[in-house]
Amino acid sequence: MSLLLASLGFGLVTAAVLALATVGFTLQFAVTDVLNLAFGAVMIVAAYVAYWVNQAGISVWLGLVAAAIVGSLLSLVLNRFIYAPFQRRRTSSIALVIVALGLTLILEFGLQAFVGGTSVSYQLAQGPTVGSGGFQLTVVQLVIIALALAAMVAVHALLTFTRLGKAMRATAANRSLARTCGIRSDRVVTVTWLLSGALCGVAGTVFAVDAGSFNATSADLFLVLILAAAFLGGPGKAYGAMLGALVIGLATEVSAAYISPAYKDVVAFVLLFAMLAWRPTGLLGDRA
Amino acid sequence: MSAEGAAPRHPGAEGQLTAGAALTLEGLTAGYDSRPVVNEVSITVAPGEIVSVVGPNGSGKSTLLKAVIGIVQVLGGRVRLDDQEITGWLPEDVARAGVGYVPQVDDVFPPLTVRENLEMGGYLLPTREVQSRLDEVVTVFPRLATMLGRRAGKISGGERKMLAMARAMMLHPRLFVLDEPTANLAPAVASEVLEEHVRGLARRGATALIVEQRARAVLAISDRTYVLAGGRLRMEGSPEELRSSPQFVASFLGGSAGVADIVSESEPGSPP
Ligand SMILES: Nc1ncnc2c1ncn2[C@@H]1O[C@H](COP(=O)(O)OP(=O)(O)O)[C@@H](O)[C@H]1O
Ligand SMILES: [Mg+2]
Repeated sequence: MSLLLASLGFGLVTAAVLALATVGFTLQFAVTDVLNLAFGAVMIVAAYVAYWVNQAGISVWLGLVAAAIVGSLLSLVLNRFIYAPFQRRRTSSIALVIVALGLTLILEFGLQAFVGGTSVSYQLAQGPTVGSGGFQLTVVQLVIIALALAAMVAVHALLTFTRLGKAMRATAANRSLARTCGIRSDRVVTVTWLLSGALCGVAGTVFAVDAGSFNATSADLFLVLILAAAFLGGPGKAYGAMLGALVIGLATEVSAAYISPAYKDVVAFVLLFAMLAWRPTGLLGDRA
Repeated sequence: MSAEGAAPRHPGAEGQLTAGAALTLEGLTAGYDSRPVVNEVSITVAPGEIVSVVGPNGSGKSTLLKAVIGIVQVLGGRVRLDDQEITGWLPEDVARAGVGYVPQVDDVFPPLTVRENLEMGGYLLPTREVQSRLDEVVTVFPRLATMLGRRAGKISGGERKMLAMARAMMLHPRLFVLDEPTANLAPAVASEVLEEHVRGLARRGATALIVEQRARAVLAISDRTYVLAGGRLRMEGSPEELRSSPQFVASFLGGSAGVADIVSESEPGSPP
């Protein structure tokens, strides 16, 4: 019982990190039509930004703000100078995926050339542990969960109640129809890169906090979990991404406790394959 | 009787008169990847007129409308709205110029609710005016009032087409560009769309350029009709003129001969 509770605790933290990343990733895909596989690389660049801020003796939580800004701007730059030009030339989406993979290598090895191959850690106190029975979380873990919840509420409010959020959903659903309504879709796309890039930066920092130590290629496997969560929920579906992150986060940590940590990423994909067989468009996807 | 009767029930509400715009296409050539699909099409629509384009499938009718509203590349010729040339404008700017467009397919945002679809139609309105305009538009399509919270992807084909038209009405356009608004609708719904709603737009003053498959029905509401085949205009006339043209009757009003006659017997590029 306490093993289950403990693994549920870890699962919630993993789910929180994953939700921040997956919602950003899936919004990008929905609105901009780019399956940005360089998302993990941008996360790690942002995590290093927080690290450098932290190294200057400043709290990593302030570093997280810097990471969000850099994630935002770097995502915008990737779109402006790489993805958008390719899209204008009508590059196929599969070719764009290859471009994104290339970008991942460039960003990660560029970063590695700069920071070296050894792992680094933030200076931060984990704080007291709270909880009862086997269910124990550190204050830092609680902060991560709270950040994720706040971000999910903010994304929900944006998409449901604001003119911008509705224009983002309209652009995602049918870009040319959105334009005939007077929506400047290029601006909506730009704002989407900024917002999703900020989520990417936050996700990168909390990922690094949660991992304890990290290096330039640490997010590679995590990107695979992001893909699993995004497609589990239905690609491009913000609420699907939240649900997918929760399922994958809990399933990987519970299975790590009961089966073997070595298999936890495998479990994510067994779940995804089973779901795709049952419902090809994802948990919250449109029925085909 | 529906709300858009000849005498507006609420002056300034849904019966509000719009000053229709004149639309002029001069030798318009348009297509995809620099390959023309429609060639040198010239059409004039006077303010408040309903002008229709009929023609066989694949003749370029949708492409023509898309070139007018800016989602297909214009390769030659001009598009004028009143005295302003809008050739090659971005669709978002054409919308700002007062053109409302209802596409043939993908005419709503399926994941958005009916209300949100209408809000997107009113995207350019000042925020405080959106709700009152939405209320007005819904009085023209009372059926939509009962389903504002439903997702547009989940409503019936007829309701969907009305939503698409209602969405286009949100901005009080001076010109409506309608691409087969009755496609895939049951005959009764189709005639409701044409007889009540399209006519209603014109009755409130707006101009309409409409592409239709149902030649007989669209002739009944048109001031003038053009025939497009193989990307070129082949015929043009008032409803009376076309009804008395054996060629037109044979091709579009159910005769023995087919569309091919119009295409082969006309000199390409010169409407008879
Ligand atoms: N997006 C597109 N890219 C390339 N060709 C297209 C595209 N859409 C339509 N076409 C071609 O243009 C021609 C006219 O199509 P369309 O304008 O849809 O005709 P209609 O509306 O009269 O049925 C067809 O041959 C069609 O294959
Ligand atoms: Mg068509």
